Parts: sequence; C-alpha cells; structure tokens
Amino acid sequence: MAANILDIDNLTVSFDGFKALNDLNFHMNEGELRVIIGPNGAGKTTFLDVITGKVQPTEGHARFKGKNLSRRSEDAIARLGIGRKFQTPRVYLNLTPRENLELTCNRTKTVWSTLFKPTPSAERRTVSGLLETIGLVTKADIPSALLSHGEKQWLEIGMLVAQSPDLLLVDEPVAGMTDEETERTGELLIALAESHSVIVIEHDMEFVRQIARQVTVLHQGSVLCEGTMDQVQNDPRVIEVYLGQAPTLTAEQMTILRVAAAMAWADKNFAPVQQDVILSRLSRHFAPDPEFQDELKQELRDYLAKDIPLEDLVPQLKAKEDKEMALTLGYEVIVSNGINEKEAVVYQHLVDLLGLPPERVTQLETDVRASMN
Amino acid sequence: MTVDTSLPPTNGTAPVKKTGKKRKLATEAVIIGAIALIFIVGAPLVLSDFRLNLLGRFLSLVIVALGIDLIWGFTGLLSLGHGIFFALGGYALAMHLNLQLPEGQIPEFFGLYGVAELPWFWTPFYSFPFTVVAIFVIPGIVAGLLGYLVFRNRIRGVYFSILTQAALVVFFNFFNGQQKLINGTNGLKTDTEEIFGVLASSDEARLGFYIVTVLMLVGGYVVCRWLTSGRFGRLLMAIRDDETRVRFTGYDPTGFKVFVFVVSGALAGVSGALYTVQSGIITPNAMEVAFSIEMVIWVAVGGRATIVGAVIGTLIVRWGRTILSEQFPEIWLFFLGALYLIVVTVLPNGIVGWLRHQAAGQLRSVFGRSQPVATYPSLEFDPDVKQEKEALQSSSTKEG
Repeated sequence: MAANILDIDNLTVSFDGFKALNDLNFHMNEGELRVIIGPNGAGKTTFLDVITGKVQPTEGHARFKGKNLSRRSEDAIARLGIGRKFQTPRVYLNLTPRENLELTCNRTKTVWSTLFKPTPSAERRTVSGLLETIGLVTKADIPSALLSHGEKQWLEIGMLVAQSPDLLLVDEPVAGMTDEETERTGELLIALAESHSVIVIEHDMEFVRQIARQVTVLHQGSVLCEGTMDQVQNDPRVIEVYLGQAPTLTAEQMTILRVAAAMAWADKNFAPVQQDVILSRLSRHFAPDPEFQDELKQELRDYLAKDIPLEDLVPQLKAKEDKEMALTLGYEVIVSNGINEKEAVVYQHLVDLLGLPPERVTQLETDVRASMN
Repeated sequence: MTVDTSLPPTNGTAPVKKTGKKRKLATEAVIIGAIALIFIVGAPLVLSDFRLNLLGRFLSLVIVALGIDLIWGFTGLLSLGHGIFFALGGYALAMHLNLQLPEGQIPEFFGLYGVAELPWFWTPFYSFPFTVVAIFVIPGIVAGLLGYLVFRNRIRGVYFSILTQAALVVFFNFFNGQQKLINGTNGLKTDTEEIFGVLASSDEARLGFYIVTVLMLVGGYVVCRWLTSGRFGRLLMAIRDDETRVRFTGYDPTGFKVFVFVVSGALAGVSGALYTVQSGIITPNAMEVAFSIEMVIWVAVGGRATIVGAVIGTLIVRWGRTILSEQFPEIWLFFLGALYLIVVTVLPNGIVGWLRHQAAGQLRSVFGRSQPVATYPSLEFDPDVKQEKEALQSSSTKEG
C-alpha cells in the first residue's frame, strides 16, 4: 500500500443523476506508466478532473500518496505534485516558450515571491535544459502563438516537466500530430516515466502499443479490465465496447487464432491470396455455416493485423485442449503451403513453448496431414 | 566535444541581452524624466492658469487610466466600477480640506441638516498624514474586500463587470442619500477651503497640485511598469489568457488578482483626490456609471496592455472633448461618439497598438509604396528559415 502513488476507491461522480464515473477503483504504483483507454464518454477526462480537483467526487475518494484529494483546490493539488496536460495544447500564446517554462518552473508560487524575487539561476538552467529536450532552443524567444501545433504540445509537456510533479497526467498527447511527431512524443513519455509516475489517456492504438506497459480500460465510468496491451486487446469485452458488437470468439479462441496467425506470418513473406486461404481455413474451424464464416473472416482480418511475439501469446493458453488446438492450427497453416526453413524454426519454437508431450505432438501432426489428404 | 561547442553561444547571449535590457530601461527612465521636467517647468510658463489647471485635471485622470489598464489590459478583468475608488480618494481629501476650521466648529453644511456634532468617521481626517495615507489605503481596502469576495468565488468575465457596476450603483445611491454624513447630492466643495494656509483655488495652490499630479503620475507609471514587467507581469498575462491553466500549474490566481485590483483601486483613489482639488468639488456624480465607462474608453482608445497607451488615450479623449465642446457646444458629443466608433472598428488595439503593428504597412500603402510580401508569420519568425535565408543571401552575393 505504501508504494501506491494513487489510490482511488469506490469513486462515483454524478452530474444531475448521470454517473460519469461509477464506483471506480484504480490503483497505481509509484514509477508506473499507465495508459487509460476507453471509448468516447467512458469517463476518462472526468477521471482526470477528479484527480486534479476540477470536479469533486459525489462518493468515494481519490488519494495521492495517502493524502485525500477531495476538497482541495486545483492549485493546491498541483502544488502537491500532480501535473496535468490538457487535450488541446494550452500554452500562454502571448509569452515566449522560455517565459512559459519559467512561469511553471517557479517553485514558490505566492504573490510576494513572484513579485520580488528574481528568477534563480538554477531555474534558468532548468529552463535552458528543458528547451533543448523539447527541441525549441531556436524558438525560445518568439511568441508561442507562432509555434506549430506539435511544438505547442511539446512545449506543454515541457511545462509539465518544469513543474516537476511526481505524477503526470497526460490527456491525448498525440492528437493531431504527424507520425514522426507521435513517435518522438512516445519516446519522450517513456523517458519521463523513468523518473515520474505517468498516466496517459489515449485513443491512438498504435501509440498505446508503443508506450504501454499496463493498460486500464474504462467503460461507462468504471474499470472494464486491466492488464498488458495483449491481454486487453484479446479481451472480448474490450472488443465489444470498441467495435460495438460482441466478437464471436472467446478470449482463448482469439489467442489460438493469434498463434496460428503468428505462424503464418513467420516467414515475413505472405501473399494476400494465401492470406485469404488461411483465413478461411482458420475460420472454418470455429464457425459452422458459410455466412458466419465470412463474418468471422472479416473479424479475423481486423484483429490479426498485428504481429505479436509468441512468448506473449502462449502463456495465455491454460487448458490442454486450447494448447492442442493452437498446435493443430499452427501446423495446418504452415503445412498448407509447404514448410520452409523459417517457418520450421518458428514452429519448433512454438512446440517448445507449448510444452506438450512429444508423442501427442506427433499424433496431432499426423492427424493434420491425414485430414488434408 | 558537443557540449563544449554548444555552451559558448548560450553563455554569450545571456549577458548581452541583460545589458540590452538595462540600457533600454535607462533610456526609458531618461525619456520619462525629461517629459516630466517639461511638464513641471515648461507647461506653467507656456500655458495660462486656466489651461494649466485643465492639464492638471487631465493628468490626474491619467492615473486612474493606468489603474484600469493594469486590471483590464494586463489581467483581463474589465472593471466598470472604478468610480467608487476614484470618489473615495476624492472624498478623503475633500473631508480633510473641509475640516480646516477654527477649533470647535464643524463644516457649515451640517447646519442645514441640524447636525450639531461631527460624525465619528470625520475625526481622523483632521490629520493631514492620515488623509494622505487614507487617499490610497481606503480605496485599496474596499477594492481588496470586493476583489477577494468576487475572485474567490471565481466570478469572471462579464459577470465581474456587471458586479463592479452594481457595486458602483450601490455606492452612488448611498453617497447620494447621506446628507447628514457627507452632504449627499451636493458633495463637498474644496475651492473655498484652505490647505497649508493657502486657499485651495488660488493660483499658487493650483500650481502645487499640478506639480504633485505630475509627480504622482510618474510614480504611478513606474509602479505599473514594474508590476507588468518581469515574472509577475507575465503571470498577469497568463491569467488573462488562460486562468484555468494557471491554476493547474499550482498558482492560486485569487491572490494575484486581488493584489492587482487593490493597486488599481489605490491608483484610482490618488487620481480622485488630485482631480477633486483641481476641479474644486467632489459629488456622488463621480460615481456615475457613464464616468466609469469613460475611463475604460480612454484605455481602449490608447491601447490595452500598453501603459503609454493609457496615458495617450486619456489625454487625447479629454483634450479633444474640451476643444470640441468649446468650438461646437451643440454637437460635440457626436464627435466623441464617432471617436469611440472609429477606435472600436478600425483600431481594435488602440492608437499605440496600431502604431506598433499596423501603422508602417498602412502608411506605405497610402503613399503608393508596395507592401512587404506577406507570408505565414511562422515563416517570418522561424529562426531556422532566417538562417537559411541569410545563407542564401551570402552565397548569392559571393556569386555576384
């Protein structure tokens, strides 16, 4: 408990009866980088609002390092060590990036010290260092209004760091950024996570995959599930809330399919025609009638587009039947167009990971070959 | 190696900038000193006593415009109630002057309402030092109380403006109704009273008031410059531009806003006191809604968030008003209205804002010169692009 930087228990926020957050529980360790995803209206932003004091909880409470955050003002919470980056870049447009950073860097934020104390040289140095980190050295002394969108986002992240909080809350940092900017932002956040605890709210799945270690999914104001990116992506409930329809497969079946897909992708050389053949072969295993098979094929195409390491997938399979099914399918996939060397290697790796008895493996392989003939 | 090469320029530019800033400040100080000297020594020689008194009144009004600029131009809080502070300052000094009586007497007007004993709150105003302090402290305290209640409850924008105007109306009605305390509608006259044994309406006293006004104006200008430059000034602009963001960076804007409102109110008090002695009377009319709005217009005409703008705007509007009302007594109000319309539609940044940003380009086009090619401002200002341009130029000159 002592290591938790953020504890949220039974948190409910209702606006005139509408529950934006509903009995939400959330815990986060010090030094963690946590990504929160969820469809629109899931309560992600309200969640940040409660932590930063903008919205008061109706029930329950949020604790930061054991201190209750209810009934504290936004600025008091900020001084406790929680920094927040807003969705749209909010920098002071009439001030230069340097002045922006200097204002947030200021340690004693009272009227008198702001008025009478000159900026300490240590803070000046911090600001210069930060300008270098966010790549705005050459533009440090022009009005921030002239910066591009991406540069403003970076400046705001810089301001967040200048505040030197213990917990960073980052709301959709890559919205409207180019791919290159997105990747650099991801690197910056990962670098920040080494010395801070970070919560990122994001929509961009590509980006989430780049930075995420632990993912929390919010839905209708409560936590739907928590886990690694792969666990979360395979969770049928998550797929349901994101695509608006329940997948026809269970989580285990999805994992099995992913294993098979990983086999198919093993030689990195995979013609679309073959892909189609394999997808239909795979779907036949799970769906009885042709119409349903088509639907499933589409689903598979949607979900299997990613190449995921087998090491992540295989441990998710617990039951013996599932493991055997994965092996069968995987073997079928590579046999279908003749085994080449790379595929053989990956297949051997899969067999090792599954850890089934050798005689059972041989028997299954024989079965597959028999069924194909 | 990379560290070594990157260090010298950053070390080199910082001190250069600092001396540049200091030199700029010194130049500004010299200019202000010179202007103040011209006003103190030159104006009394050139202008008639009547005109000098008029100029003194305008200059005292500039002080309240400075306060409005501070609270509106820099902090973004449009106060329509500065008449309160202006009048409080004026009444404080007027009360002191009205008490320059032989022992045992009370001001004459009390007799009209059958008041035999001086109301308790008049007594401290016998003391001149108390009065001098009261001129800015009483408006400051009222501004502080009002500001604290309003800003703590996060009342902003148009609601703040409405609230200040409502407060103004309350004060106006209160002062209007209290004949037995402060002579109600009739106000307090100062020109028949004595200050330091000199009649307040005499030429000597008026010259003295004029000089004090110029000095106070310089003082007010310096205070405003000091407040709006540096970190505090930048924070005020940050509050104006995005108060929520300021809150989330750990500053409590309430304290800052109350402080600025207090300073602004105190300036209005000084302005009111100086205006009162130079015009000879203070009545509750100083708290009329129109007058407080006019103060805002001076700043708008001159240019918001430019301290010089507040000075220039006040002088132009007031001077124009005097000249026009002498020349065209019937229709001068139309000119005034036209001026406001022009400023709002053509010069949204005021005169100083126009001079700083658009004047050069517009004058060029008037004289038939071509405009400089317009590009994205980011291109114009982008240091990387600048460097590239310079490199291109130097290479082309080499070829030529």
